[in-house]
Amino acid sequence: MAEDPKYQNRIELLQGTLDMLILQSLQREPMHGYAIAQVIRNRSGEVLTVETGSLYPALHRLERQKWVKSEWKVTESKQRAKYYQLTALGKKQLTADHQRWLQLVRAIGAVMEPEVQP
Amino acid sequence: MKPWRWDRAKESLSEELESHLKMAISDRVVRGEDPAQARTAALRELGNVPLIEDVTRDHWGWLWLENLLHDIHHAFRRLRRARAFTATAVLTLAFGIGANLGVFQLLYSVILADLPVPHPEELVRIHVAPTPFDQSWTISYPAYQRLRAATPDIPLMATAYAQDATLDLPNRASIVASLEPVSDNYFRGLGVAPAAGRLFVQADERMGQDEWPAVLRYDFARKTFGSAQQAVGRHIVLNGRAFVVIGVAHRRFLGDKTGRAPDIWFPLALQSTGAFAFSWDSLGPGHDVALDKPWYNQPTIFWLDLTARIPPARRAAVLAHWDQVFRNDRELMTEATPDPAVKAALLRTTTTVAPLNENGMRKRFTTPLTLLMALSASIFLVGSLNLANLQLARLNARAHELGVRMALGASRARLVRQLVIEDALLVAVGALCAFALGRAASDILIRWASNRNSPFTFDLHLNLPIAILGAGLMLLSLLCFSIFPAVIFIRAGVSRTAGSGAKVAGISQTARQRLGSNVLLSTQVSLSLLLSTMSACFAATLVHWETVDVGMDREHVLIVRPDMHEPRYTDHRDTLPLLYNRIQERLQALPGVRSASVGMCSGIHCGWNTAIYVHGRSDLTNGQVHGQEDHVGPGFFDTLGISLLRGRVFSSSDTDSTQRVAVISRAYARQLFGDADPIGQWIGYEPAPNDHKFLIVGEVADARLNGPERDAPPMVYMSIDQNPAPANAIRVRATGDPTRLSESVRQALHQVDSTLPIDEIVPMATDLNGDLGTENLLARLAAIYASLTLLLLAIGFYGVMSSRASRRKNEFGIRLALGATRRHIQMLIVGQTARILLAGILPGVILSVLAMRAASHLLYGTASANSLAVIAASIVLAFAGSVASLIPARRAAFADPLETLRSE
Repeated sequence: MAEDPKYQNRIELLQGTLDMLILQSLQREPMHGYAIAQVIRNRSGEVLTVETGSLYPALHRLERQKWVKSEWKVTESKQRAKYYQLTALGKKQLTADHQRWLQLVRAIGAVMEPEVQP
Repeated sequence: MKPWRWDRAKESLSEELESHLKMAISDRVVRGEDPAQARTAALRELGNVPLIEDVTRDHWGWLWLENLLHDIHHAFRRLRRARAFTATAVLTLAFGIGANLGVFQLLYSVILADLPVPHPEELVRIHVAPTPFDQSWTISYPAYQRLRAATPDIPLMATAYAQDATLDLPNRASIVASLEPVSDNYFRGLGVAPAAGRLFVQADERMGQDEWPAVLRYDFARKTFGSAQQAVGRHIVLNGRAFVVIGVAHRRFLGDKTGRAPDIWFPLALQSTGAFAFSWDSLGPGHDVALDKPWYNQPTIFWLDLTARIPPARRAAVLAHWDQVFRNDRELMTEATPDPAVKAALLRTTTTVAPLNENGMRKRFTTPLTLLMALSASIFLVGSLNLANLQLARLNARAHELGVRMALGASRARLVRQLVIEDALLVAVGALCAFALGRAASDILIRWASNRNSPFTFDLHLNLPIAILGAGLMLLSLLCFSIFPAVIFIRAGVSRTAGSGAKVAGISQTARQRLGSNVLLSTQVSLSLLLSTMSACFAATLVHWETVDVGMDREHVLIVRPDMHEPRYTDHRDTLPLLYNRIQERLQALPGVRSASVGMCSGIHCGWNTAIYVHGRSDLTNGQVHGQEDHVGPGFFDTLGISLLRGRVFSSSDTDSTQRVAVISRAYARQLFGDADPIGQWIGYEPAPNDHKFLIVGEVADARLNGPERDAPPMVYMSIDQNPAPANAIRVRATGDPTRLSESVRQALHQVDSTLPIDEIVPMATDLNGDLGTENLLARLAAIYASLTLLLLAIGFYGVMSSRASRRKNEFGIRLALGATRRHIQMLIVGQTARILLAGILPGVILSVLAMRAASHLLYGTASANSLAVIAASIVLAFAGSVASLIPARRAAFADPLETLRSE
């Protein structure tokens, strides 16, 4: 079977960023795992693909850390699915992660393009 | 995630992934893909679902538990399939650990355990002065009161020995209860709390009570009255005296003397009633000793053992003070002997203390129990080695399976874990059985070790040391027979076996592995030889004591024990000779009876110590005058089979109105007169001028009256007719088996005196052997151990040789095809067995000789007899080993060579 061309330009996620992406996706509304994967893929312009094998362990890890909580609901297409929802603790974590991420991006940017700096 | 929500969570996870898949498919279908294609693509995108589930569950934190449960389930399945191995392992562990627990329990109770009271280390026995005749440490009641008054702040408790009594309860058969008379401060001083009711107070020591107070032992109260609470307030009758149960002692308190648990404690003042038989010593006749009057005001009767609670720091001062107070009593005690050396020694003695558990029991049982502990450890070791060997053989048989599993990616750690879990299950089940067995074993061991007439009682509650020992042995066995073999095997063997079936079959054990299992087998042989030899020696010792010449006709005498301590006998002593005469005549008229006679000593525990002085001999030392005494009727020596050496024995013409006569034994005669003729010498209980009361008329041979394993005591016999007293034994000598006479003897006695109570009728052999507790214990336990190890050894050889023979099947097939004879093949295996046996027997012999030397004082037997035991044990072992390996050898030799070659 031929390789799906979409997968050819995917980028390996930086370690630790998956948690942040999941939390970010859940910021507006509760979602199930499949939707989370779709959201990340669509928003990243199909560059970032979350493997199921990483997504579910991550979701269960987040749940164990009480950053998200889950609930079984029925989707619009009458399909039972497990919805994850951000908790207060998760919101705090997301803010912290986001801050760190911005710091990292700035720092890496400074290293890679020193001439941009005034 | 909580473990109990595990299953629901697992389902939920599967459903979650399932719904993910469905949504992915429907998305693709909506986008216009073919449903079948969409499904395939979505599945591929999803990846390895079980792996995702595993990884996800790992984040819950309980995956290890799930794996463990899996492994345990797996282990159960495997064990169920290997029934023979499972049974062998569980039984081996149960016996190996159980034997150790049982023996250790006994060792702990006899030697190590402290009294279950606060600060047991403060409690000591007080030894003030040895008594004149028994050399015991008892003192008189007045002396006790003086010592106690001298140090009011130090609890000084007194106890006495009283014979078992008959306990009568309304509407029930009477039972025999053991007693301990104690001072009023006994429980308070020891620090024992009541389980119900109250314990003794000072008022309980009052003389002349209508109803006496009694305290019961917890288990006795429960057995007799249902519970401790129900026992309190009950009215009971002991030896005809009225008692009321005022309380029950703490559950764990079994008295202050190891092994001897009294059923009932009562005040010392009960001595004054005369209803109970107390042990005593005295200054001897002629010193104002009135045994039939109350003893509480007689300074010349010694009957109280002392126990005190003294803080170690104050010990020296307190003892010195007591020495001062006791000085007059010590001077009084010197009057018992004219021997100046003994007088001086007595005056020089000072009061000393001894630990509570330093007693006869401990002295007697320390070596045997230590030895048994060592033997138990050996059997445990043999069992573990045996299992280790079987385990290696089993692993070899599984080499292919394990190799394939490793090749498929199973981790070594997981494989070792599975193997170890399998064995841990075995150990757990084995240990459970072992605890039950150990408990039962303790009971049986105690029964074996007990003397016939006084069974030991110990506290057998599970305690920390036992639990630690049990757990330790479990771990050790697990390490020995599971972890080591598994690790060794996985490291060495498996990776190379992960090939084709043909290659696996052809693979031979590495030389190191083979050597390992040979060494295990040899060690087993050595230890088995040790156990077999010791067993043979102990059995020989027991047989020796059971058959040694005791100077009496031990196989043909029946002992009847009447209870004549009733006023109708004790208050009419002048009628007793006539009664004895009628008893003798009636019994001798019975068919099958050679002769009959009465005596005051009832058997081996009589221990009537005495001293006799010879008229005209003031030079005799204490060592010469001391001996044992008995008062016997006519026909006594003939009945026991003690031969007359010189002079005459008692006859019916020796009466109250004729000259008092005595018969002495060879040992006493030699002690007093050397080789001179004792006949015609005058003797008495006291030095001159009272030293010519009795005339020696006869000398008889020595007899081991104190038991077969003790030397024959120097005996002086007086005539019971000249000093009438209640007889404690009526002996009957039969022409055949004495036990067959029991009923006719009982009937005959009933005809003579229908009111004569009879406590028991036993053959003398039983009575004599009743004291062989240690010998019995050692012989029986060692025999069990020896047969067990023999069995284990046979199983071991069979298992190892079978597995080797089956591995070499192809080789044997080729050899046979090339012209080797079947005999040759058999010899290959038997020869291997022989080498292992030899390598084990040689060190085993050395081990046995060392052990025999260590236990020499417990063994009766010459060097040649012992070496015979070693040789016999070696032969038995060699035989067992050979037979066990002959079966696989034959199987290998008679395999069809074509069959084996075809599978190559």
